[in-house]
Amino acid sequence: MFDEEGYRKLFVEESRENHENIVNNLLALESGEDQQTAIDEIFRSAHTLKGMSASMGFDAMEHLCHSMEDVFSLIRNGQREVTASLTDLLLTCTDTIEGMLDAIEAGGTPSDEQSGSLVQELRAFTEEESPDGPEVSYDAVPTKTPVEPAGEADGRPVYTLTVAVDPSSSMKDIRAMLLLQNLQEIGTILSTTPSQELLEDGKFDGPFEVLIESEAGEDALRTVASGTEISLLALSFSQAPLTVPPKVDEQVQTPEPALESQAAVPSPQVQRAAKNEKSREIKNIRVDIERLDRMMNLVEDLVINRGRLELIAKKHGIKEFEEALSMVGRSVSDLQNLMMGIRMMPLDRIFNRLPRVVRDVANHDGKEVEFFIEGGETELDRSMMDGLSDPLLHIIRNAVNHGIETPEVRQASGKPAKGSLRLTARRDKDNVVIDIEDDGAGIDPEKLRKKGVEKGLMTPEAAAIATKDELIGLLFEPGFSTADAITDISGRGVGLDVVKKTIASLKGTIKVESKVGTGTKFELVLPPTMAIIDVMMVHINGMRCAIPISNVVEVAQTRLEAIHRIGNSEAILLRDQTLPMHRLEDMFGRAQKGDTLVVLQNNGRKCCIAVDTVDGQQEVVVKPLSRIAGSCRGISGITIPGDGDVVPVLDVNTMI
Amino acid sequence: MGRILIVDDTMFMRTLLKNILFSGGHDIVGEAADGAEAVARYRELKPDLVTMDVVMPKVNGIEALKAIKAADPSAKVIMCTAVGQEQMVKLAVKSGARGYIVKPFQAPKVLEEIKNVLSA
Repeated sequence: MFDEEGYRKLFVEESRENHENIVNNLLALESGEDQQTAIDEIFRSAHTLKGMSASMGFDAMEHLCHSMEDVFSLIRNGQREVTASLTDLLLTCTDTIEGMLDAIEAGGTPSDEQSGSLVQELRAFTEEESPDGPEVSYDAVPTKTPVEPAGEADGRPVYTLTVAVDPSSSMKDIRAMLLLQNLQEIGTILSTTPSQELLEDGKFDGPFEVLIESEAGEDALRTVASGTEISLLALSFSQAPLTVPPKVDEQVQTPEPALESQAAVPSPQVQRAAKNEKSREIKNIRVDIERLDRMMNLVEDLVINRGRLELIAKKHGIKEFEEALSMVGRSVSDLQNLMMGIRMMPLDRIFNRLPRVVRDVANHDGKEVEFFIEGGETELDRSMMDGLSDPLLHIIRNAVNHGIETPEVRQASGKPAKGSLRLTARRDKDNVVIDIEDDGAGIDPEKLRKKGVEKGLMTPEAAAIATKDELIGLLFEPGFSTADAITDISGRGVGLDVVKKTIASLKGTIKVESKVGTGTKFELVLPPTMAIIDVMMVHINGMRCAIPISNVVEVAQTRLEAIHRIGNSEAILLRDQTLPMHRLEDMFGRAQKGDTLVVLQNNGRKCCIAVDTVDGQQEVVVKPLSRIAGSCRGISGITIPGDGDVVPVLDVNTMI
Repeated sequence: MGRILIVDDTMFMRTLLKNILFSGGHDIVGEAADGAEAVARYRELKPDLVTMDVVMPKVNGIEALKAIKAADPSAKVIMCTAVGQEQMVKLAVKSGARGYIVKPFQAPKVLEEIKNVLSA
């Protein structure tokens, strides 16, 4: 019927949003927050998912969502309670839905292999000891009392219509109701057989009859009585009814007073909303991220070519050209800023998954954890978002798994039984800072000292004099784990070393502060975007190299006497500090003069490199090395400044 | 052929419906993602017909229908519904909805209902 593939992407995207909404509201329910809102939200999302999956023909998913909707329909009406076991069952359902969405995204069609049993379980829940609660009845229409026909009927034409509702109609009661309502607009219904009440409840099989008094004429009646799924079988004219027909109740002739007043005066909520959003249009559109990436590439090309044009203008000194170019330059800058803004996404996108993770790990470990999230609205470039997700997940798992103690241990040490885990994000100058702080046991440096030696990461001598920071640094060494036993929660062979590497690849840093008995804080500092950075351009041996400004501490002149050889490497004494010195000869060849020093820092550690000249500071677009070039140690990417040269960008991280 | 306002909280459903209505030669004059937006758009656009989802965040389809009917008693609104929503649709019909279409949508049925409601 329609291009299924064309809708698949949209389907998956919106389904994931609804899926997430269900999970978060299930957790909210459990934590005892605003119950009614959470229940309404779950019901709505389950309903939406049902409708969408039915439209795509994903029956298994439809059935599962339908069953969830049924459960919440009952809960909403107060006929069932949310229990812990129900929450577990529903969370399992959401996991299954997530799996289905993954399968759908990959082009498949989910089967009801796993979902079938869940549907059974949900059904058992809806069917169990059905309490007194009857079907919800909205219906305020009282039983009708036949009214003597008023005299006006005299002399007006009266017709008998025999009408049938298409047996395939999914809601024949409503079809009948609509028909009667439409007929009511062009006449007065005197009676129906079976009664109007039975018709509106769908309690009829086959055709039914309507006796109507109307001056609209046969044609009008025929038109109205042949609507969607409705066919008129017969229409007969009778001047006056043979029997005194009971008049249909007032409710139908004039709209129900309650409804009328509601209709005339919209609820305050609607009024207010209507006022506020009078001129509101659909202001948000969805754009495929690939298109944004392509656009970003084009903007980057523009930035590069603007630089080129500026050089040409300078070379030829055409004033008018330079002026025009500066206008173009401004537009390009604006465009670039705009594009960067568009690509930003609130961190909530990845934070939203985490409450579930905390819950699961805490339950698994028999711990009690209260999880706080702040600053989820802080924005980050979407390309960073993907990379950040796993490290964050790992740190959060670790915090619950290794950081927070069991309730017994906590109480024994005078802490509240419930641990707290706080995830905060904020914008700090040019960076985004994410803190993950727990009030758990903290990291014991003495344990690290022992372990460091055991694992052969430190000599006993070095360990004996190692500072706390150095010991904590061990956490990020490959193959180091403080957990006594590898658990199936945190210990999946991925250690903090991988976390650190991933954060570094995002040009970010990670820092740990910990106090035994008080807790641990991980601090991630990330640039909001990776694509465009400030660099310092330097010349080494006639070749250019770009150094991210965030890594540059200072530029100094070399005094030859301050350079000392220590074994195979060189070091320099700079203001009472001894810094390792690199000449980057492998990469660029020997610096011709090499008398200028650039001091670099990363993660609090410093080193310096010798360069010939410093050209200045510049905003550049960093492009990753192509797959053909592969990764190159010491180089994080390349940039193309205005003159069209290809300049490597130094990866200070690997040097220190 | 009519000028139609589509109201649904998912873009997926709006897109689906839009394509069906396009194929029937209708003009989609606007879209809204919740009830409040629907009321505002209705006042602004005065469409010939509104397709109104029932379950939506903030202001649901029934409330929006009532507000639209209050502002314009001749408004033609048809409800987009799914199996299990019969009670809500009945309430909608009592509040002045002129018809309904059932998800998953079947193009011929949707177009037939729209044609019938528009010509009534």
